[in-house]
Amino acid sequence: MRVLLQQLLLGLLLGGLYGLAAAGLSLIFGVLKVLNVAHGELIMVGGYLAFWLATGLGLDPFLALLAVIPLTAVLGLALYGALFGFVVRFDEETRIKNSLLVGFGLALTLHALAVRAFTADERSIPTAYWGQTVALGGLVVPVGRLASLAVALALIGLTHLFLARGRWGQAIRAVAEDWEAALLQGIDVRRAYLLAFAIGTGLAGAAGALVSVGYSISPAIGLEWTLKALIVVVLAGLGSLVGTFVGGLVLGLAEAASALTFGGPYREVVGLLLFFCVLLGRPQGLFGRA
Amino acid sequence: MLEVSELSATHGELQALSGVSARVGAGEIVALVGSNGAGKTTLLRCIAGLVRPRAGRIRWDGEDVAGVLPHRLVERGLALVPEGRRLFGRMTVDENLRLGAFPPRALREREATLDRVYTTFPRLAERRRQLAGSLSGGEQQMVAIGRALMTRPRLLMLDEPSLGLAPRAVEAIFRVFTEINRSGVAIFLVEQNVRAALGLAHRAYLLEHARVVGEGSGAGLLDDPQVRQAYLGPLAVVR
Amino acid sequence: MKVARRAEFRGPTAAVVTLGALGLVPLLVGREDLLNLGVVFLLTVALAQSWNVIAGLAGQVNLGHAAFFGLGALVTRELWVTGTSIGLAMAAGAAVAAAAGVAVGLAAFRLRGAYFAIGTLALGEILRISVGNVLSEISTLPAATIAGYRLTARYYAALALAVGSVLIVTALGVSRLGLGMQAVREDEAAAAASGVGALGVKLRAVALSTALAGLTGGLFAYYHISYYPQHPFSPVWTFDAVLVTFIGGAGTAHGPVLGAAFYVLFKEYLAVRWVDAHLLIFGTLFVLIVLLLPGGLVEAGQRLSRRLARPGAGAAASAGP
Repeated sequence: MRVLLQQLLLGLLLGGLYGLAAAGLSLIFGVLKVLNVAHGELIMVGGYLAFWLATGLGLDPFLALLAVIPLTAVLGLALYGALFGFVVRFDEETRIKNSLLVGFGLALTLHALAVRAFTADERSIPTAYWGQTVALGGLVVPVGRLASLAVALALIGLTHLFLARGRWGQAIRAVAEDWEAALLQGIDVRRAYLLAFAIGTGLAGAAGALVSVGYSISPAIGLEWTLKALIVVVLAGLGSLVGTFVGGLVLGLAEAASALTFGGPYREVVGLLLFFCVLLGRPQGLFGRA
Repeated sequence: MLEVSELSATHGELQALSGVSARVGAGEIVALVGSNGAGKTTLLRCIAGLVRPRAGRIRWDGEDVAGVLPHRLVERGLALVPEGRRLFGRMTVDENLRLGAFPPRALREREATLDRVYTTFPRLAERRRQLAGSLSGGEQQMVAIGRALMTRPRLLMLDEPSLGLAPRAVEAIFRVFTEINRSGVAIFLVEQNVRAALGLAHRAYLLEHARVVGEGSGAGLLDDPQVRQAYLGPLAVVR
Repeated sequence: MKVARRAEFRGPTAAVVTLGALGLVPLLVGREDLLNLGVVFLLTVALAQSWNVIAGLAGQVNLGHAAFFGLGALVTRELWVTGTSIGLAMAAGAAVAAAAGVAVGLAAFRLRGAYFAIGTLALGEILRISVGNVLSEISTLPAATIAGYRLTARYYAALALAVGSVLIVTALGVSRLGLGMQAVREDEAAAAASGVGALGVKLRAVALSTALAGLTGGLFAYYHISYYPQHPFSPVWTFDAVLVTFIGGAGTAHGPVLGAAFYVLFKEYLAVRWVDAHLLIFGTLFVLIVLLLPGGLVEAGQRLSRRLARPGAGAAASAGP
């Protein structure tokens, strides 16, 4: 029993990162109707940025976040300007199709770049406090990963607040619902797109930074995390950032449970199963609107 | 204030407008009526900057506004209430209205404008925390008009505001139009409900088969036997 | 379609003839490295054509095509090394791949296009990881089979597959199913409204596409003496198929042949100089093509020939294919 709970706890902690990873993707897809399948590669970039800042400059990885987020957001701006800004000129159907293809090409390009720059080895950021644990009700809680979960939650909360109350946050929500109507209210839709894309990318960078501390990064994690994010987005549905975060937790828990039940090699399969169940039973996702 | 000259535009494969000219002066209520077709909506969308016309000119305050982005036109005082209302259904009435005051000029006077809108539409004040998507058709139309008013327009354009509304609601809305106009806002109204539109308007245009086939005062056209025959008679097609 | 029937078949005929000419190569030249390159080229053609069916013709973006290639390889290999004849093994591989394809299609096709892409992507990756976990050791042919290994047999099998794939896509181009697929690709709502059973069309397209991919996977298993079982599930195979189709011309029968030639030759050239740069270069090229020249080399060729035929006309407007 204790083993089960312990594994579920670890799954929960990882799930928080899944949620953060998915939140950025969900925001971009919800607002721009663009599915960036290179999202995982952006997470990877965030991870490497954090790694470089931490090992190169000696920054504590959580402090490095303060730099990683704006830096990846700027990368997002560049990618929007160079690529996705063109994709949004099409109607929704074509947008999705083109963004899938463009994202796919981008993913492989970024992956190839990363392999050249960093080699395929896995890297991780060591910190002094990482090994520390806290006992909680008989369970061993790794402090570092708990802190990561807290950070992820905080970032989601901040973004949610911005979208709910901020002038441009509300503008982004309006654009997500009906961009033409938003345009008629004086909202510069292009700027809203840009902002949403930058925020989404920044969140991805943050997720990557947290992954590099708690787990490990390599060029291969790009596709892996894209898939996790996609599954969570489908699982949770569009329209709620908090719902997406919860979806991430659910996936983390489900993976932990399936690893215990069916063994390690089949851990990933549960994600696929969840995906198909959602598709067949409730396509709009757990929290999405029909 | 608004001047359209020789405008031609297509809607898909159809020629929706062909050499159309019209104008709206400050403080006027101008109506555009005509039988079913894409022309009327296309004209409003061209003026609002959503559609690029094939030929012709649109002038706002004497300046050519070809290619100006829609949100900039809103900043300059031109607002459109599109067909079908297009509210942000997942936001509350209050949020929808407040979002209307997005341009900086309107943002400065947001609270005052909001008070005015709630006074004009008391029903909305009651429902301000309700999700816009859950309102009745008439109430949604009120939100749509209110939202456009929040941008503090000098010219308010409306595309078929009476569509799908019960007669009582239509009356109420048209009374509001008079009130809005009295406060200094010009109105350019595209309507299927010819009787109501001509009864309200100072001037009106008739649009048939992509061309302007008639122009005159609202009252004058209402009395015109040909107009009565085509639009108000027993054989007239009314949607 | 008002274009004369003859013109439509010009490209594909040229492709088939060229491929047919390749059939003479083993008879004229005995070099193994050339034959191996040939097999790689022909495999690429077949795999690209299989993707072309679902994405180029039917407009459904499949991002996990490697899943079906891998399934075909997996099933074929397992059956073949345990005694089944290669023909039967390959057929089984194709069947399993098709079943998987239809399963994903059934789940995803009633929803927006993104779901099919995500579903196939997920299937591909998860199969790769799981197969890698369960069958982590290299798969090698038994000694007896290696002794009897004939490269030319593989070469001709690959040739038959490649030619077959071109013929299938050509036939689809003028068949009712194919026209239905293209209608769905252009505007699914309109197609459905005019009586095309969109779901049925898409399911048949995916069945055909994944069966062909599975067959190609089976050929992969037949050709390679040893490989890691998870390798055919690698996303690189999807990328190859997608890229080659787009470079050549998605939706045409001869496009993928052109694209494959370009790709394989260019990759060989790059392999001599910069080993891993090809992914980088092709990735960039691919993105540019999707955004700027979606018709690929075929479209570029058509524009060029129009420009040359009417020198004064400039960028002449024309009724597209």
